[in-house]
Amino acid sequence: MSAPEPTPGHEAGSGRYRDRMIGLFLLAAALFNPPLLGLFGVKGTVLGVPALYGWVFGIWAAVIALAAVAGRTR
Amino acid sequence: MEAGLDWAAVLIAALLYLSALFAIAHWADRREAAGRSVIASPTVFALSLGVYCTTWTFYGSVGRAATLGIGFLPVYLGPTLLMLLSPLLLRKILRIAKAQRITSIADFLASRYGHSPVLGGLVALTATVGVTPYIALQLKAVAVSFDALTGGGLEKSAEPFLDQGFLIATVMALFAIVFGTRQIDAAEHHPGMVAAIALESLVKLIAFLAVGVFVVWGLHGGLDSLFAMAATRPDLARLLGSEAALGDATAGGGPWGAWVATTILSAAAMLCLPRQFQVLVIESTDERHLDRAIWLFPLYLLLINLFVLPVTLSGLLTFGGRLDPDLFMVALPLNGGAGWLALLAFLGGLSAAAGMIVVETVALSTMLCNDLVMPILLRTRPRALARSADLAPLLLAVRRIAIVAILLFGYGYFRLAGSAYALVSIGLISFAAVAQFAPALIGGLYWRGATRRGAIGGVAAGALVWAYTLLLPSFARSGWLPASFIADGPWGIAALRPYALFGLEGWDSLAHSLFWSALANIGAYAGLSLFNRQGASERAQAAAFVDVFQSAPDAAPRGDGSPDWRNAASVGDLTRVVARFLGPQRAERAFTGTDPDEPAGPERLRLAERLLAGAIGGASARVALASSVLAGAVEAAELLRMLDETSDVIAHSRELERKTAELERATDALRAANERLTELDRLKDDFLSTVTHELRTPLTSIRALSEILHDDPELAPDQRQEFLAVIIKESERLTRLINQVLDMAKIEAGALDWRIGTIDPGRALTEAVAATEALFRERGIALSVEMPELLPPVQGDVDRVIQVVVNLLSNAAKFTPPGGRTRLVARLEDGGLRVAVIDSGPGVPAKDREFVFDRFRQSGDALTGKPAGTGLGLAIAKRIVEHLGGRIGVEDAPAGPCAESGTGAAFWFTLPLAMSGFADDAGEPPVTDRKID
Repeated sequence: MSAPEPTPGHEAGSGRYRDRMIGLFLLAAALFNPPLLGLFGVKGTVLGVPALYGWVFGIWAAVIALAAVAGRTR
Repeated sequence: MEAGLDWAAVLIAALLYLSALFAIAHWADRREAAGRSVIASPTVFALSLGVYCTTWTFYGSVGRAATLGIGFLPVYLGPTLLMLLSPLLLRKILRIAKAQRITSIADFLASRYGHSPVLGGLVALTATVGVTPYIALQLKAVAVSFDALTGGGLEKSAEPFLDQGFLIATVMALFAIVFGTRQIDAAEHHPGMVAAIALESLVKLIAFLAVGVFVVWGLHGGLDSLFAMAATRPDLARLLGSEAALGDATAGGGPWGAWVATTILSAAAMLCLPRQFQVLVIESTDERHLDRAIWLFPLYLLLINLFVLPVTLSGLLTFGGRLDPDLFMVALPLNGGAGWLALLAFLGGLSAAAGMIVVETVALSTMLCNDLVMPILLRTRPRALARSADLAPLLLAVRRIAIVAILLFGYGYFRLAGSAYALVSIGLISFAAVAQFAPALIGGLYWRGATRRGAIGGVAAGALVWAYTLLLPSFARSGWLPASFIADGPWGIAALRPYALFGLEGWDSLAHSLFWSALANIGAYAGLSLFNRQGASERAQAAAFVDVFQSAPDAAPRGDGSPDWRNAASVGDLTRVVARFLGPQRAERAFTGTDPDEPAGPERLRLAERLLAGAIGGASARVALASSVLAGAVEAAELLRMLDETSDVIAHSRELERKTAELERATDALRAANERLTELDRLKDDFLSTVTHELRTPLTSIRALSEILHDDPELAPDQRQEFLAVIIKESERLTRLINQVLDMAKIEAGALDWRIGTIDPGRALTEAVAATEALFRERGIALSVEMPELLPPVQGDVDRVIQVVVNLLSNAAKFTPPGGRTRLVARLEDGGLRVAVIDSGPGVPAKDREFVFDRFRQSGDALTGKPAGTGLGLAIAKRIVEHLGGRIGVEDAPAGPCAESGTGAAFWFTLPLAMSGFADDAGEPPVTDRKID
């Protein structure tokens, strides 16, 4: 019957962090999926790397970097 | 291809490497024991998650890339996505696992759904069936890569038990036994094992990157030239585009479906694979480590996959179709003249295999022991177990046997299946098996209404559909079932074709299976949950899981502790049970300094349950406690809940016994209630006579005096005045009496007008003192008031509070002998106001204390004479205080100036302060609205 109260370590700021990560998850889920990936299935290379290959690893790295930054700046 | 390395040298290198892992693990265990943990670091935690990357990653990714292009990536994108959700999902799971001392994913699910042994066993079995072949794949990968490295130097042994597969299985079993089953409390961590797998993760990453750099820059002069060369070959150019991985973008299903299905499955596997749950949840030392793992682990996955496509292309350019692409990682450096690098690659693959095998077997053995073997043993042989004083060796033996059995099973599968399709494809098939736990797992975190039957139904239905649409067809493709099983369906029924169930054609087999199994799983889970009622323990567990952030970290796992549990067990009983499973030292430490004969009480019972749960899982812990501690007196409902989960005959008869016992108890309760009613009836009669007596006394004197006044007009004025004063006093007494009776009746009927608001307690107390001062003076009792200058406002009804204090004061005035003292003490305590009236009267005997606030009751009996009053003052005070959200009670007067005559009594009550006083808080103390009692 104890009244709901925020757990220590989970108060202000944490909620924003969580929301950001959920947003990042949705963004990554969209980017990692066929309709958007398919757009980069074109011939041709970027800096000698095939476009699709570079794109996948590029957004993957970007998502990881955003996750790291989001954790640091909360 | 060049001749391979000397097999003996490779073997020695491998054994040296594995010995080094043993040494690291041993060192980490020693450091942990010395209190300087090496695994309490977010980086080590993130690296240990790298156990996700098995040989299926190390060698298999290249193989998959050779046909799918970037189609190997969803297996790593899924976990990346899952990690992004960790602030939401994983943190909650970690918190729950810590609070409930979870030992495995089977234990997690069983605990969530009311400690269901059936669910725990089902999960343990599904995981074992789904994952053991995956272990076989690891053995095969090590064996095959060893052959590739040595050029088949070691004679292929036709004899079983004499090949590399068996060797690695033996070493791994040894490792798992030494570092995974050293102690029985699995909820504690395995620092040695975690340190070793973190190191292995590092080794396999370095090995992969080294091979990648060597291949790209050493063999092909850079990425651009490698890709340019590949682009000239149409069969390789295909791998660079999206078609291999995604198919024609216009067609749904097909590889498209495979991409999406693989992403979903690998995200689920990241959480549900026993080894992932082990490192992610069980071995986690601090949930804050997630904050680094959230990006470090995906980064690890990215790095280990960076060179997969270049290595694939280079291999295909170098060897064409002559060599299995799975072996490129070893073959390319060997072919390029870098034997040491090939050896490093082999060690990387060995690391991947070793880490996976060790953690998986430890996780599976814990699960099998706690959720399958122990519940069965506890139910079938409770007597044999009860005889044994220390069960720790038995638990360890069960786990060690389970480890050996799992590895033998894996080895057997490897020998039997060899290069059959069933083995090659087992990676994703395993993922699909464990993904069946995901709905019950995630649903259980957020959906309070999910029930045990729903979870059992969901997991069972999903697992059956999985077996039918993935496992059996893989057997058919390996030739163990007729090929027509896939092509025409069993018995030629086309609607039942396992890859096109009910005519769902043209789908990728994995997506097809995912669709149907998810449909069956989630359908059964939701459907059965919606149409089922939760038991009490289920409801309590559901709340403990869903609201884990709302309750204190070590809140009670269950709120339904029945009083019988408390009374039935003594500390000695608990110590004995805990000692049997965890060893005497542990038990000694847990219950040190308490008298063995003391009743255990809910706190210690909970502690014992938590300790046991850490060792043998939640489901077994309850049964163990119930069977050994509460042999005679378990509450029927509680036992029914535990027993309804078995069809066992013994349990059934025991249930009948309990029911009989419960019936007897109910009869006793009825008899007691009857006696109480009789007593109340007697009290009512007493009350009536008291009231009548009380009314008659003043009436008599009023009547007598007024008759005298009436008959004798010559009475001296002094005398007349005195008589009139007596008449007035007696009338007042009469009025007071009648008011009290009326008040009581109103309170009982709930018809009293309450004007609850913020009041100044100091004013109320002063008024009450003023109202009773005369009484004290008249009886020659000294009344002193001790309260702070400023009292904070409280929540209450000012008239009623005055009434309470007046009642307590007049009560004190009644019982304090002339010349005695009464003190009114007010102070702040525990966030409320506490007012005490301390007298120097005879005190209230302990046996009467629970009754003095009853209606019609008066302290003292016929022997000590009847004190004045109706016996209503205290009853009214109690009802008012409780209505205002406070508590009331009586205790011995504290030693001091008042204690000189008799012991004295201290009547006290509390009132909530106004600032914390919202309705919620005021309702928290036990407000009783009982009409009787």
